[in-house]
Amino acid sequence: MKKWPNWTKTLTVATAFLLLLAGCSNGASTSNSEDTSGKESTGGELTYALATSPDTLDPHRSGLAVSVRAFRTIFDSLVVQTADNTIQPWLATEWTVSEDGKSYTFKLREDVTFHDGTPFNAEAVKYNYDRIIDPETKAANALALIRPYKSSEVIDEYTIKINLETPSAAFLSNLSQALLGIVSPTAAKKDGDQFGKHPVGTGPYKFVSWIENADIQVEKNNDYKWAPSIVENDGAPYLDKITFKIIPEEATRIGSVQSGQVLAAETVPPQNIVSLKDDPKTQLLQVNTLGLPYTLFFNQRNKPWNDVNVRKAVQLAIDVDAIVKTLYMGTYERAWSPLSPGMLGYDESLENSVKPDLDEANKRLDELGYKKGSDGIREKDGKKLTLNYVDGSPNREKRNDIAVIIQQQLKEIGIAVDINITKDTATVIYQNADYDLYGNSQVNSDPNSLLDIYHTSDPEKEAARRMLGGGSDPELDKLLEQGTIEHEPAKREEIYKKAQQIIIEKAVIIPIYVFPYTVAASKKVNGITFDSLGYPLFNDVRIGQ
Amino acid sequence: MTLISKALVRIANSFVSVLGSLILVFCIIYLLPGDPVLSMIDPSVATPEMIENLRRELGLDQPFYVQFVEYFTAILHGDFGQSLINSDPVLPKILMHFSATLILTLTSTIFSIVIGVTLGVLSAIYRNKWIDILARLVGLFGISMPTFWSGILLILIFSVNLNWLPAMGSDDWKTLILPSLALGFVGAGLIIRMVRTSMLEVVNEQFIVTLRAKGLSERVVMYRHALRNALIPAITIIGMNIGEMMAGTVVIETVFSRQGIGRIIADAIMAKDLPVIQGVIFFSAIVYVIINLLVDLSYSVIDPRVRRSH
Amino acid sequence: MKEAINSKTIWSAPKWNLIKLKINLSASNLFVYVAGMIVLFIVACALFPQWIAPYSPTHMHTEFILSPPSALHLLGTDYFGRDVLSLVVYGSRDSLIIGVVSVLIGGGIGGGLGALAGYVGGVVDMIFMRFTDILMTIPGILLALAIAAALGPSLMNVVLAVAVSSIPGYTRVMRGQMMSIKKRQFVVASRSIGTPNWRILIWHILPNSWSPLLVMATIGLGTSILVGSGLSFLGLGVIKEIPDWGALLAQGRGYLTTGWWISTFPGLAITLFVLSVNIIGDKLRDMYDPKTK
Repeated sequence: MKKWPNWTKTLTVATAFLLLLAGCSNGASTSNSEDTSGKESTGGELTYALATSPDTLDPHRSGLAVSVRAFRTIFDSLVVQTADNTIQPWLATEWTVSEDGKSYTFKLREDVTFHDGTPFNAEAVKYNYDRIIDPETKAANALALIRPYKSSEVIDEYTIKINLETPSAAFLSNLSQALLGIVSPTAAKKDGDQFGKHPVGTGPYKFVSWIENADIQVEKNNDYKWAPSIVENDGAPYLDKITFKIIPEEATRIGSVQSGQVLAAETVPPQNIVSLKDDPKTQLLQVNTLGLPYTLFFNQRNKPWNDVNVRKAVQLAIDVDAIVKTLYMGTYERAWSPLSPGMLGYDESLENSVKPDLDEANKRLDELGYKKGSDGIREKDGKKLTLNYVDGSPNREKRNDIAVIIQQQLKEIGIAVDINITKDTATVIYQNADYDLYGNSQVNSDPNSLLDIYHTSDPEKEAARRMLGGGSDPELDKLLEQGTIEHEPAKREEIYKKAQQIIIEKAVIIPIYVFPYTVAASKKVNGITFDSLGYPLFNDVRIGQ
Repeated sequence: MTLISKALVRIANSFVSVLGSLILVFCIIYLLPGDPVLSMIDPSVATPEMIENLRRELGLDQPFYVQFVEYFTAILHGDFGQSLINSDPVLPKILMHFSATLILTLTSTIFSIVIGVTLGVLSAIYRNKWIDILARLVGLFGISMPTFWSGILLILIFSVNLNWLPAMGSDDWKTLILPSLALGFVGAGLIIRMVRTSMLEVVNEQFIVTLRAKGLSERVVMYRHALRNALIPAITIIGMNIGEMMAGTVVIETVFSRQGIGRIIADAIMAKDLPVIQGVIFFSAIVYVIINLLVDLSYSVIDPRVRRSH
Repeated sequence: MKEAINSKTIWSAPKWNLIKLKINLSASNLFVYVAGMIVLFIVACALFPQWIAPYSPTHMHTEFILSPPSALHLLGTDYFGRDVLSLVVYGSRDSLIIGVVSVLIGGGIGGGLGALAGYVGGVVDMIFMRFTDILMTIPGILLALAIAAALGPSLMNVVLAVAVSSIPGYTRVMRGQMMSIKKRQFVVASRSIGTPNWRILIWHILPNSWSPLLVMATIGLGTSILVGSGLSFLGLGVIKEIPDWGALLAQGRGYLTTGWWISTFPGLAITLFVLSVNIIGDKLRDMYDPKTK
């Protein structure tokens, strides 16, 4: 009938052939890829691959970092935050703060117009901020950022006074964020809910089209002359057009850059960072994002995780260095604090303050009365010590793989880890709080963002959405409240350092890594820069031959 | 029964199937846990009151049967409603994305037929020779490799390495080739098997033996008579598989970043976006039904026995 | 499937004695024996992985992350530093469970419904067929997606999702078989001598109608694992200490250029398994189906 050796031979040969072809790809190079980056040129189109699709292009309603990457091209803000955390003018030329810290008066640029021809003035700014707090808008993250905004008064056409409910040291920094970007009042009024599908702003690029799951196109705004100080080119951008392609699958995204189908791609996975470093056609750009690093939160509503000693034991048993080295191969930095390095008040003294110590971890659990059973899992009062580790899907930044390693690490001290992956974190985490450990991160500009996460929550808000962690610590509460209103930077730093120390000391969280926003781009592309939060800017971009 | 009245019965049945699938999906989605309202509004800033208002606005606070009746009344008026997630009107959204998926499905199907029938016939003719072994091996890989894996492999080979074809997108015909290959392989695997088996069965049948005895050349016997009969199961498979092909686009469209209904529905299912899910199911059910009608008709064209038996 | 496929011969008497494999070491059968040994080996892996695997599948050899196949790690290590060979050996258990259980459930329910519809006919047939028509208009993976999304990811839910979505296929095939067989001479004959219906069904019809179901099932074993893999790809898979082959394949896909061995070997394991089962299935069918002899 059949001869099996033939089968196996063919099978082996065919497989080997396929793998050979596939395996060559990382080493492959072309002969004609001379570096032409020196040539200055204007015009052209940049194709830029995004890893996920934006939810909306309405800055006031969006909650995703990927949306910001696209709409930062379309929208400007009143002020800009520089790398050293100072605030510089942008659409506002100067400003004063009242004695009580509750009102800000901005002088606005007089030469700015929106893409649809609407003039930019104090009325427009007032409309924008009122729009964010209007419940009809259904603003999300923008609403959190603009708090404690109360009202705006138009002093004259180019002067506006903004009143706050309470003083806020983070207010200016928050205003610099793209989520509080200025939209055209004419367009926003006309399109209402649908504004996010045809956004109009004052930015260096004008919106052209958005095809769901495919691409977003923006074109050069020829009238642009109000660029912030963080870019070199203060006039209209050099590029004619940018096309953001949405390519969720990692291998495809990277393959598209390597094959030249797109000129740049974001979010390069670590294993590709390592291999692309030697690619003669490709350059890698990397910038650490600012805000709250990727951090695992204990759910202190659940026993025994409300007990600081149990949390400590876990903290001592998790070898974060090993996790970061294994999964990110030296491309991600390890996080030590609830804040990422570079944030105002970041406490460097926390670095290397926690070291894995299995003996100590075991000792603590022994002392608490958790006895190892026959399967190696600890028990107390007939209940096994299990940890319900919930993580989101898809496996972003290898977060699910962190869970896999932690499962093995905690087994060493007799804690069983159940890993549950869910698409619906809104329900599982924020509504039902059905987890013991859950990880999250946030891009943000000011340490005041700690308040929303670590302050004891207001029961009314808890009814709609449970806070991560759910703990309560009066000392921490007080520090975070002080940090909000304290205007003296040096004092703020001290306050936040103390807050960070408490959070780590009480093992409220386990910080894991600082996310580096990584872009792989063809060497033809020059001038992609990043703002202080780690979002890309395209004002200076030129494309060589 | 005449062909026309038979077709009418089929169409009536099909209508029942489409309606039934809508009802079934409605029930499944209704039973799904999770609250679509929570995915529309960020609960960190929404008060319970706002959530309640939104729910009322969308009619999601109504009892099951009210929602059911309202939904189907609207559909009968051609109103498929709006996406719960981004309030896109469903009908234009589907029409826009459906054609891309349909084209991909068709090219994949054509590819699977061409590859499947060719290799199936070759492997039957050269039974147990190396061609047979190779053909069956190709078929085997088709049914034992997940499409995302073969898709990525194709990208690495043909886009990254050889730089012949685009890795992603849905702009022109070139972007169709790799996804159709990846998807078509699955169908090809089954067709190779089916064609080979039924060719071998047909070859031993009386009428073929008779034809041979009459002195017809082996080639004529094989291609004209055996193949024709062997095509029937292949066509059946195509009819049964068209749904699977369309389902395959869920994965393939993600791998190749193509526009299409597959990605829309995957997102919609995760988000419990009922109007979108229903809209997609409605259209894919109709396509499924039409293709299967065509498949049934083609039997009578290909197989004289079926024609006579009607 | 349509009657046309199976209406070509008049079947002989019932055949229930399946396990009549004579040892015949001729060249033509060698292939089948090899396939049989592979299947046995895979089953052994699933039952006694600790005797076969060189390492613990969960142990992370941190000094050997992403190391290619070598004498120390025959199939290399993955991005955690786990030994791929050990993972594949241990992963066979859940892979077999997904494959076999979903085929048993899907084939059992689908085959049962199809047999009933085909044999009883009339209203029952109409209702069953309308129902499978409805199920068939909803593509399988969408059904699986909905089930996985509704019940949450777990091994059993994946099995269930795969099983449910395969039911209509089995129903159709079985019904077609029934319809053609119940008109055959030996059935008509035994009915005319007054044999009760259930007896005819069990002793005459079922044994003669399982062959296309078997073909479907052998393919189904592989596709079940693949659908599970597809769910992993779409982010609805299960994260287990020891992943099944499909999950390994999905999780390793990002490493095709930097560590091809991570996803290739689980893929080959699936291929080898499907191949062997198909060869055995073909052989069994050949042995009991006179027309292909």
